Amino acid sequence: MAAIECRALRKDYRRGDEVIHTLMDVDLSIDAGGFVALMGPSGSGKTTLLNLLAGIDRPTAGSIAVDGTEITRLGRGALAAWRSGTVGYVFQLYNLVPVLTAYENVELPLLLHPLTRAERHRRVSEALELVGLAARHSHLPRQLSGGQEQRVAIARAIVTRPRLLLADEPTGDLDRESAAQVMDLLARLNRELGQTIVMVTHDPATALRALRTVHLEKGSIVDATVRAEAAP
Amino acid sequence: MIVRFLPFTYAARNLGRSKARLAMSVGGAMLVALLAMGGTAFVLGMDGALRASGIDRNVVLLGAGSEESAERSEIAAATPGIVVASLRGIAAIDGIPLASPEVNVALTVDARGAGRDEPDAGGLVRGITPTAFLVHPQVRIRAGRTPTAGSDEVMLGRSAARAAGFDDAALARMLDAGTEPPQVRIDGRACRIVGLFDAPGTVMDGEAWMPLTDVLVLTRRETVSAVVLTLAPGATVGQVDAFAQRRIDLELSAIHEPEYYAVQGAFFRPVQVMVAASAGLVALGALLGGLNTMYGAFASRVRELAMLQVLGYGRIAVVASMAQEALIATMAGALAAAALAAAFLDGIAIHFSMGTFALVVDERTVAVGLAAGLITGIAGCMAPAVHCLRMPIPSALKAD
Ligand SMILES: Nc1ncnc2c1ncn2[C@@H]1O[C@H](COP(=O)(O)OP(=O)(O)OP(=O)(O)O)[C@@H](O)[C@H]1O
Ligand SMILES: [Mg+2]
Repeated sequence: MAAIECRALRKDYRRGDEVIHTLMDVDLSIDAGGFVALMGPSGSGKTTLLNLLAGIDRPTAGSIAVDGTEITRLGRGALAAWRSGTVGYVFQLYNLVPVLTAYENVELPLLLHPLTRAERHRRVSEALELVGLAARHSHLPRQLSGGQEQRVAIARAIVTRPRLLLADEPTGDLDRESAAQVMDLLARLNRELGQTIVMVTHDPATALRALRTVHLEKGSIVDATVRAEAAP
Repeated sequence: MIVRFLPFTYAARNLGRSKARLAMSVGGAMLVALLAMGGTAFVLGMDGALRASGIDRNVVLLGAGSEESAERSEIAAATPGIVVASLRGIAAIDGIPLASPEVNVALTVDARGAGRDEPDAGGLVRGITPTAFLVHPQVRIRAGRTPTAGSDEVMLGRSAARAAGFDDAALARMLDAGTEPPQVRIDGRACRIVGLFDAPGTVMDGEAWMPLTDVLVLTRRETVSAVVLTLAPGATVGQVDAFAQRRIDLELSAIHEPEYYAVQGAFFRPVQVMVAASAGLVALGALLGGLNTMYGAFASRVRELAMLQVLGYGRIAVVASMAQEALIATMAGALAAAALAAAFLDGIAIHFSMGTFALVVDERTVAVGLAAGLITGIAGCMAPAVHCLRMPIPSALKAD
């Protein structure tokens, strides 16, 4: 069974009398361990689709099953609990809490789980180790470079060991070198840990790092490419 | 389902994001709390003074038609004698009936005669006979003696002495040591201070007492203002009232003493309302300033608050953290205000036409201040909480 199963997904926005069809009848299956790059022109609905998969937005119609859970039927509280256990989300602008250290930022999602302090410590250290920033654990976000901030944000996203890692233009705000580091990291998480990833990107070269590219245009999937192997 | 809250450190450190905003929130709440406490201290002080001035066993006889103010009341000089002779139910000590004819007048009490540079203090002067000390047991002589008629002598209440610019303790020492007492000018006439009394928490503490006849001469009056009676056991206010009604010729009206002072309170209610209203108005300004600051602090974090929800924190957890943050600031302000009030506001003497009372900063005043801080904090986080959390998460994530 696929990890994610979207059927006839639709999202409309109403602006006055006008209805904007942001997503129209999107069908999408993503296997466990998949790495999907979501591409398309600005306004094509990439972020909207990602937000629906993340359970932070609700579709106008259609179904989204993640590991067999139909998330469109979950209430607000249940959905929040589901997110905390299942989804890791990486933002274009990192969204670290500026008053918390790298360590505390990564620990934040773990505080929602019934873990001992020692267990939390082990997991946070592991995650920071994985993104190569163990030495920076006590630094505040403003003491880190953009690329480092994004890697802390990735550590925060994976520290709960989510089934699904979602990223909205994770390299969109980074210079070439930092972007490459972040992409290396995501590719490694997918390859070595079998992390399922859905990533929005504008950059065709970045998309090549994924195993599969899905093109959206005006709210519909127009093309999908599957590669046997990701670009190095 | 268990609600998992955000760590306290998050709320606490958020306060440090902008020192200016923090200062505004704490300062705003402090001002609100201080004004709320000032207003409360004023009302409590005045009410307390008025209430403590009345005694349950006492009845005040006033000139008919002037029940609301003893200063306007007039009773013929012969009337007190007639009352004592014909009214049964007046208590007596050692054969002395407890009926005190008194005259209440507002006169300038000027301490410049004592070598002070203090400005004039308007004071309430009560013309009394020795019986006054029997019907007003709250009045205790602290130093010196009672004034003798016809010798230009006066006795000051503690608050009155302070209002006239004296150090009451030094004055008491002087009187005890028999040193030549300083002089005050009462309505321009030089008088020697021969005694100091206190009547803590009552309006009498703020009065100057002189022999009744001296005050009548000084003010060219032939009438007294009131006769204060202490009832004998078993006697009732109703009996005195019935007497006053029966003896139309005396033109008297009887009023229970606590009631009399309460009426004085009602007379001063507009003052209290005005003080409370002006305090409230300034407080409202401070409140709005504080609220605006807190609103700005949270509104600039819309994206971050949305991110916390993406992580799985519920709205209750987010609101709780906002409330924590706002309340740390406003309660710190309120506590500072309470400390300031206790240090600087408590006991400040307020002069008004009936005498002097002290601002009261007690647990009720502090409770009002803390409540003001609490309300400021809750109000401060509620508006931005509604604003931030009503927004759909995807929209909030796009905020800058
Ligand atoms: N809250 C909203 N109200 C109305 N319209 C919206 C709202 N959110 C998104 N849209 C519209 O939906 C469409 C898709 O938006 P979306 O953010 O998903 O695009 P995108 O593909 O992520 O674009 P970009 O590459 O610029 O990020 C756009 O036309 C946008 O204007
Ligand atoms: Mg987008």
